[in-house]
Amino acid sequence: MSTAAPARKSMPSALTFDRHAKCSTTKARASTLHLPHGSVPLPIFMPVATQASLKGLTYDQLRETGCMLCLNNTYHLGLKPGQAVLDAVGGAHKLQGWDRNLLTDSGGFQMVSLLQLATVTEEGVRFLSPHDGSPMLLTPEHSISLQNSIGSDIIMQLDDVIATTSPDHARIKEAMDRSVRWLDRCIEEHKYPERQNLFCIIQGGLDLELRKQCCEEMVARDTPGIAIGGLSGGEAKEEFCKVVNTCTDILPEHKPRYVMGVGYPEDIVVAVALGADMFDCVWPTRTARFGDAIVSSGTLKLSHKSFADDFGPVEEGCTCTCCRPTDQGGLGLTRAYMHHITAKETVGAHLLTIHNVHYMLTLMGKIRQAILDDQYPAFLRKFFSDIYGGDKSKFPEWAIGALQGVGMDLLADS
Amino acid sequence: MDQETSASPAMTFSLLASSAPVLAPRVGKLAIPGRKTIATPHHVPLTSRGTVPHVAHDVMRDHTEINSLYAGLEDFIAKKNAPVYKTPAADHESPLKKFICVAEDMPLILGPRRFPPIPCPPANTSTSIALLTSVGFTQLSAPEYVKAVQKLRPDIAVGMVDLANKQPGSKRRGKMVDRTHAWTRDALEQLYGDSVAEKDKSKSAYFAPVLPLDNAQQTLYLDDLESEFRWDISGLALYQSASLGFVPESLANLPRLLFSEPETPHTILRDISLGADLLTTPLLGASSDSGIAMEFAFPAPAALEEGKSKPRPLGVDLWAGDHATDTSPLGEGCECYTCKNYHRAYIHHLLLAKEMTAWALLQVHNFHVMDTFFAGVRESIQRESFEQDVETFARVYASSMVESSGEGPRLRGYQLPANGPNQPRRMPKVYGALEDVIQKFAESQSEIATPDTDASGLVEHGFAEKL
Repeated sequence: MSTAAPARKSMPSALTFDRHAKCSTTKARASTLHLPHGSVPLPIFMPVATQASLKGLTYDQLRETGCMLCLNNTYHLGLKPGQAVLDAVGGAHKLQGWDRNLLTDSGGFQMVSLLQLATVTEEGVRFLSPHDGSPMLLTPEHSISLQNSIGSDIIMQLDDVIATTSPDHARIKEAMDRSVRWLDRCIEEHKYPERQNLFCIIQGGLDLELRKQCCEEMVARDTPGIAIGGLSGGEAKEEFCKVVNTCTDILPEHKPRYVMGVGYPEDIVVAVALGADMFDCVWPTRTARFGDAIVSSGTLKLSHKSFADDFGPVEEGCTCTCCRPTDQGGLGLTRAYMHHITAKETVGAHLLTIHNVHYMLTLMGKIRQAILDDQYPAFLRKFFSDIYGGDKSKFPEWAIGALQGVGMDLLADS
Repeated sequence: MDQETSASPAMTFSLLASSAPVLAPRVGKLAIPGRKTIATPHHVPLTSRGTVPHVAHDVMRDHTEINSLYAGLEDFIAKKNAPVYKTPAADHESPLKKFICVAEDMPLILGPRRFPPIPCPPANTSTSIALLTSVGFTQLSAPEYVKAVQKLRPDIAVGMVDLANKQPGSKRRGKMVDRTHAWTRDALEQLYGDSVAEKDKSKSAYFAPVLPLDNAQQTLYLDDLESEFRWDISGLALYQSASLGFVPESLANLPRLLFSEPETPHTILRDISLGADLLTTPLLGASSDSGIAMEFAFPAPAALEEGKSKPRPLGVDLWAGDHATDTSPLGEGCECYTCKNYHRAYIHHLLLAKEMTAWALLQVHNFHVMDTFFAGVRESIQRESFEQDVETFARVYASSMVESSGEGPRLRGYQLPANGPNQPRRMPKVYGALEDVIQKFAESQSEIATPDTDASGLVEHGFAEKL
């Protein structure tokens, strides 16, 4: 691998990144990301509208939650409705009637995680068609071309994804090197850098040396933003934090950092302290469909019989459309009614999805405000205290350790 | 204007004509103090477990004109001492409305069973009817139902009726009349009777059932409705169009709620022409579920009549592939939220992707079409051109709904008929040979879409190339 490819295609950026504040203790940052379809306050959580729709919601309902940036999956849109339709309709924004920002992944993750017998070669991902078993090939060029047709505001490079828990060190290194080479091919193929921002994806498994090398290589390519990939694959949380912390130490301050596939509230608040800005996860919307509501004390399984005659809102004081009382323009929904329809009526899924997305976005708003006020350590202490009922002995070791690494004692009294 | 006020409940129904004819279309106004007024004829939006299927509460409030709801008690009483009865509510409020979280000004009609009801194999008894809750079959006794009305305080309560699952024999018919007669008498006595203290009298308006039988078979019952029960009943609930012809002259002023399953708007028009005031239209939800955007207007637009080469379809099947890149609205010139913000290509994509948003958006559109249709009907009756407009409508539009080429949403147990010996599987078997793939799917991070195209399809989609 060469450190600097000669005559690299210049990389215009279709975003501006305004940094407002940095926590004086941890590495947390508050900023604003200006994208072609509006400004996004960072740190942010991005809900996943996999197939160009967020689980039953209209885009006005999604707007109402405050969402400025959501995800579509390239793999799914490539299959349905397909590139020809996307071109004919004029891209995914027009298809789904969403006038705010979209981010698409590269499709590689789904290839490897969903398909059997997918093998990665230098050319691309070889896989058997799930329908008729004939051999197929997905290359970085295909992925970028599809994302160009989708027209998302942020597009991701195709990377060589392997499980972080893989014991095969040589394979991890190969994947990292290959991801760098594929980044060059993605940059070369990218047709609309002036309106779509290509993000590179840092690979390297749990090996911090490899991660460092990958950061250096990729930062040299000067993409508008940087993602840390290959995490949330079942690795220990300590390892996850080490990787994020190592990468953010090297990554330039003036670019947004996106940790892919991370979405539990606890993981997010810690990763923010480690200097990450953007997160996505299907968990909040998926768990909504199972009847689980995210609240500040954790999650409530609303299908449990204890909620059958609980006539309070899903969360007291929550300002989402569902929880807000009717005299404040909300719907005044009760836990009892959510229990009544959850997993029985699609409306139950719609309403809890609204609540959960709103919860995540409100959480991000509070995180941002705490950073702006330079109160982030206090915020973290209260956050964990709320979840564990004030019992510090229950605070997770990994979080205490990770925060110690950025100069904060989670167990101290605020 | 002929105003009719019934006894205890404050509901009024006024007909916009000097007489209240039987077997003729009529326009009226159903008003309950503090509630939205319902202009009749009107369709009654049907709920399932208190929601209009696929229409979230905020969507209903912001993007539909829904101004009444029908709910079946069986959706709420799966357990003894059901939570719905514990809903905190002030004296003037309906605990049922509180429970399902709808505004107090939404007129709410309660009946024992959801509509359309799933036939129950267990038989009704002389004191109870069989119903299907989300946990199985059970019996609802007549006194229990009256208590439910007293506790839940719906605006309108539909009386309990003994209906047969199949064509009843003469013995069964006799029982149907006797039971319904007795249940009606007892219910009226307990809700509004002299023995009930003035302050405890029910505020709910009572719609007495008329059995789907010949006039002659229920003479005694109808006589009582005309005399003894007359001042306690506020309306009639009918279970077949033919019953519209039996309504006694002296009850002609009462609103008629027709529980039927019209398959097309033509049938709806026929029922209206026979004098139905409130009608159930399950075809609306069924269309949305099967991916059909209804498209008809009343009176039929003049432009359509001129070019009458072949009948206009009553809807658009959005499963059909020709909508894949069609960015036009579902209905031409339609003013609904869906048509103003989304297009056919999107709904087509959502149906193929089995995304719930498809049904939500289709419901919004179909409710708009149905509301506009009924508004047209009322104007036409007032203009006295109804008969002629119906004829034109029948000429312009096809006689049956469009066939759907795709699948609907997954149905739940309480939405399905009980399993019988020779009934086909409702849903194809999906588990089996590919257990390990399914395992992978379950563990994967993202949502699943199994590509339903072959390799050349993938190439065509630009997704990958063949080797």
